[in-house]
Amino acid sequence: MGDRPLSEAADAVADAVADAHRRGWARVLATVVRVTRDLDAAEDAVQEAFALAVERWPVRGVPEDTTAWLTTVARNRALDAMRRERTMARKLPLLIVPGEGEPDAVADAMDDERLRLVFTCCHPALALPARVALTLRLVCGVPTPDVARLFLVPPPTMAARLTRAKKKVQAAGIPYRVPSAHELPDRLPAALAVVSLLLTEGHTASRGESLRRPELVRTATELAEVLAEVMPDEAEVLGLLATVRLAAARGTARLDSEVDLVPLSAQDRSRWDRALIDDGCALAARAMRRSSPGRAGPYALHAAIAAVHSEAPSYEATDWAQVVALYDLLLTVAPSPVTALARAAAWSHVAGPDAALDSVAALAADPRLDGYYGVPAVRADLLRQLGRYAEAAASYAEAAASTGNDVERSYLLAQAAELAP
Amino acid sequence: MKYMLMLFEPDTDWDAVPDEERTAALDEHGRFIAYLQGRGIEFSGDALRPSTTATTLRPAGPGEDMLVTDGPYVELKENLAGYYVVEAADLDDAIEIARHCPTGTGTEIRPLWETDL
Repeated sequence: MGDRPLSEAADAVADAVADAHRRGWARVLATVVRVTRDLDAAEDAVQEAFALAVERWPVRGVPEDTTAWLTTVARNRALDAMRRERTMARKLPLLIVPGEGEPDAVADAMDDERLRLVFTCCHPALALPARVALTLRLVCGVPTPDVARLFLVPPPTMAARLTRAKKKVQAAGIPYRVPSAHELPDRLPAALAVVSLLLTEGHTASRGESLRRPELVRTATELAEVLAEVMPDEAEVLGLLATVRLAAARGTARLDSEVDLVPLSAQDRSRWDRALIDDGCALAARAMRRSSPGRAGPYALHAAIAAVHSEAPSYEATDWAQVVALYDLLLTVAPSPVTALARAAAWSHVAGPDAALDSVAALAADPRLDGYYGVPAVRADLLRQLGRYAEAAASYAEAAASTGNDVERSYLLAQAAELAP
Repeated sequence: MKYMLMLFEPDTDWDAVPDEERTAALDEHGRFIAYLQGRGIEFSGDALRPSTTATTLRPAGPGEDMLVTDGPYVELKENLAGYYVVEAADLDDAIEIARHCPTGTGTEIRPLWETDL
C-alpha cells in the first residue's frame, strides 16, 4: 500500500471524497440542520467540512467513518458560527425542529434523517419547481450551478429561487420533520411527484440534444429507494420504485448506439435486463396487492402497465386488453389527456387502428393537448397501420416540429422521410 | 407562531341575506371556534363588512398627502371577508387548523411578523 504511486493515492482520496459526498451529504446536512435550525448556515458548514476533507484527507488519511468525520467537523463549524452570530442578536425566524420527546409515530419507524430533508423540501406550501430544485440542492447535494443547468436557467436565477424557497421554509414555519401517519397521504404525493418529475425529465429530456439526462435518473432512483426503504408498505412508493426498475431494465434497448431512439415496438427484448425486470414486476405486483381493491393509485397503476409490457414475450403478444383496462383505472384516479392518448394507442391493438383514430381525433380537440407532439405522433402510427402513408408522413412531420428534443425529432423526421410519397 | 387565516369569498352583505342562511354560516364558525377552544388554541378574529364599505389610503407621491379613495385595494369578485389569528406550532399545524375553518373561495395562511408593539 505504502509504495503506491502518489497519483494513485490522490485518486483514492478523491474517490473517497466523491463517495462521501454522494452517500453522506444529506445525512451530514440533516444532522447539522437540527443543530443550527437554519438551512443556509447548515449548508455553509457542510460545504466547509467537505472543503476541509479535501485538504486534510490526502495528508492524514481517509477516516474510517467518513460521514461521522464530516458530521463532527460540520457541526463544530456550525456551532462556532452560531456563537459569532449570537452577539449580533439577530431576530430571524428559525427552522422549527420538533423536540425529540414529541410523539411522532411515523418518524420513529423512519429515523432516516434524509427523509426529514425530503419532506421539508417537498412541502406542498412550496411551488413544485422550487420543491425539485430544493431537493436536488439539499438532499442530493447538487451544486447550485448544476441545478441551474438542469433547469436550463442562469445560475443567479436558480440561486435566487433557492434562497426564496429556503426563506419560505423558515419564515412560514414549515417544520423540519417527517409527517405523521395521518398527514402522509397529503404529503407523500409531493415527494412522489418530485421523484417522478426527475425520472420523466431524465428519461426523455423535454429540451436539448440528448434524449436522456442520466444524472437525473440516478437521483430519482436514489430518492425512490430511500422512500421505499422507510415506507415499505406504501403502495404508491412501491409502484414508483417498480417503475424506476422497469425503466432501467429497458433503458439500454431504448437507444441504438446512444443516438437513435428505438420505440417499444422495435426494441430487442433480449437486451432487457431480466433480473431488473423480475425485481420491477415483483414490486409492481406488491404495489397492486397493497392498494385497496379497485382503488390503486396512479403510481401503482403506472407500474402495473410497465409490468405488463415488460412481461410480454413480444410487442405483438402484449396483453393489450389488460393494458387498456389499467389505463381505464388510471383515468378514473388521475384523469389526464396524455393518459387518454396512451390509452387510445393501446386501444388500437384491441379494436383496430380505425377505432383508435376516432379517439385520437376526439382528443386532438382538447386544448390542453395543443402543440403536444404526442397527438400527431400517435395519429401517424395509426395512419401508417391503415396504409395511409402520405397522411402518416405529414403527421410525423407535424410531430417532429412540436418536440423540443433533438433525438426525438430526428426519429420522427426519419419516420416521415420513410413514408413520404 | 402566530398565523392569520384570511377567509376569501364572494362579497356578501350579511344584513341582506335570509336569516336561515346567516344562521347556517354563523353555526359553521361556531363549530370552528368550538374546535379551537377544544384544542386550547389562542385565537382572535372577526368578520369584515363587505368590500363596498372599504376605504383605501394610497400614497399620492413624495411630499403629498395620502390619497383617500373608496373601495378595496384591488377589485376582485372574491374579497377578504374575515380572518382569524391563531397560535400554531408550525405551518403544518396552521394548515390542520385551517382545514377545520369554514372556507368560501379559499383560505390564505400567513405567518405574522413577531413584533412587540
